[in-house]
Amino acid sequence: MKKLTYFPGCSAHGTSEEFDSTLKLVLKTLDVELEDIPDWNCCGATSAHVMTENLAYALPMRNLVLAEKLENTTMGIACASCYQRMKVTKVHMDENPELAKRINSTVVEEGTYQGKVDVKSMLQYFYEDIGVEPIREKVKKSLAGLKVACYYGCLLTRPKNITNFDSPEYPVSMDQICEALGATATEFDYKTECCGASFSISNTEVVLNLSGQVLAMAKESGAHAIVVACPLCQSNLDMRQPDIEKQQGVKYDIPVFYITQLMALAFGHPIDQLKFPKHIVPVEGALANIGKVAPVPEKVKKPIKAVEAESEAK
Amino acid sequence: MITLGSQGKNTFLEDVNVKSGANVLECYQCGKCVSTCPVSQYMDFPPREIMQMIKLGLRNECYMANSHWFCLTCSACSGRCPREIDIPAVMEAVRHLAIDQNYVNDSKKVKEIRKFHEIFLDMIKRYGRNYELRMMAEFNIRTRNLFKDMHLAPKALLKGKIPLGVKPLKSAKAIKRMFAIAEKLEKNK
Repeated sequence: MKKLTYFPGCSAHGTSEEFDSTLKLVLKTLDVELEDIPDWNCCGATSAHVMTENLAYALPMRNLVLAEKLENTTMGIACASCYQRMKVTKVHMDENPELAKRINSTVVEEGTYQGKVDVKSMLQYFYEDIGVEPIREKVKKSLAGLKVACYYGCLLTRPKNITNFDSPEYPVSMDQICEALGATATEFDYKTECCGASFSISNTEVVLNLSGQVLAMAKESGAHAIVVACPLCQSNLDMRQPDIEKQQGVKYDIPVFYITQLMALAFGHPIDQLKFPKHIVPVEGALANIGKVAPVPEKVKKPIKAVEAESEAK
Repeated sequence: MITLGSQGKNTFLEDVNVKSGANVLECYQCGKCVSTCPVSQYMDFPPREIMQMIKLGLRNECYMANSHWFCLTCSACSGRCPREIDIPAVMEAVRHLAIDQNYVNDSKKVKEIRKFHEIFLDMIKRYGRNYELRMMAEFNIRTRNLFKDMHLAPKALLKGKIPLGVKPLKSAKAIKRMFAIAEKLEKNK
């Protein structure tokens, strides 16, 4: 059995509770034991680094220091934003001991930062530490027939010098995992475009615009559903979808799954444990495609000879 | 250091370079950041223009622009910048300098963005974690827009999408102390 230090993030106890609970189901199947960081705190998210430099490093550092007290040296983080803040802090502290010392002065009781814990997003952990093949081996119920657009957002692969994972422009890790589950990953050009992120509440107009573009591109790629590994992407694309539809006058009706929900489904966990009723956009329509033979594309290319004959006739 | 466009020393350029760790002088104004930026259409000055304004030492104009408040730190620009300049870090440096020097952009949008971040930090200070429902409620109250997103509330609450409470940290005192020390560090920079 593998062990992993786990940082759930605030939203795992709130808006992305289904990410957290299905992640735990999946890791049970994959034989990974999670160890929570005791009394972890909020990473500060976007707000801390927008407003102040010191707090933006101090809040993640306390979690890193607490994690160093545990035996395991890899920290898996569910939320993409928490992952980003924790990784930025780790990279900058390791590069600059003087800065680390200054920031460490704010973490009084917990101890000294040593930089011995590695920080990974759960997507990265699945891809690098578990591997696509072992995931494929655990599949009991193939998702064949389901077409998905894998949406990574900005934080899982960017900036490259911080994340050092997959491609910042056209990542494929989540696509490969989905294909291992039997699903088809569509060619989706908006994989790493921003959904509007933290503007969800303070600047909703921007989120409706940016997330609307992601939905439109996912629909155009022929996907039945979008797959994400970030709580903010999920809530912007799912919870705001009815508003986007109203604004654009288009019906998307495209559910937004966490990658762990699809993994748990394919691993054979009972559907009532996957928290689908929490979704604002109903999931049943998309899931009905599972098991169906992939339909023949509507725009079948005409044979060249037929095209030539047509043009001659004109 | 070479400075452009202003008589004497361009202290603004130096401030931004030191704070961001980037070298703004390396920008050759190709505009790739603007075409990449998902929010440049909302900015007073898109990233390319901000870069040039820093080179020209236009301190007040940069501070008062809404650009650094609209930057989402998505890092799309820096990933495609042919000069590999960390543009989000530059935006952040300008914002932090503006905050430190008490510049206030009082357009409605910037006020709301800033208020949101302040409330979010306040939640962490109080509970050690984010209390989502309370954060949303306080945002509506403090921006005097009580009914914002209320149409989402019945569904989100019924489905348990947004929980009613938050479990505060055991070591809430440690977080409060951290805030106090960090605030002191900010002042003594």
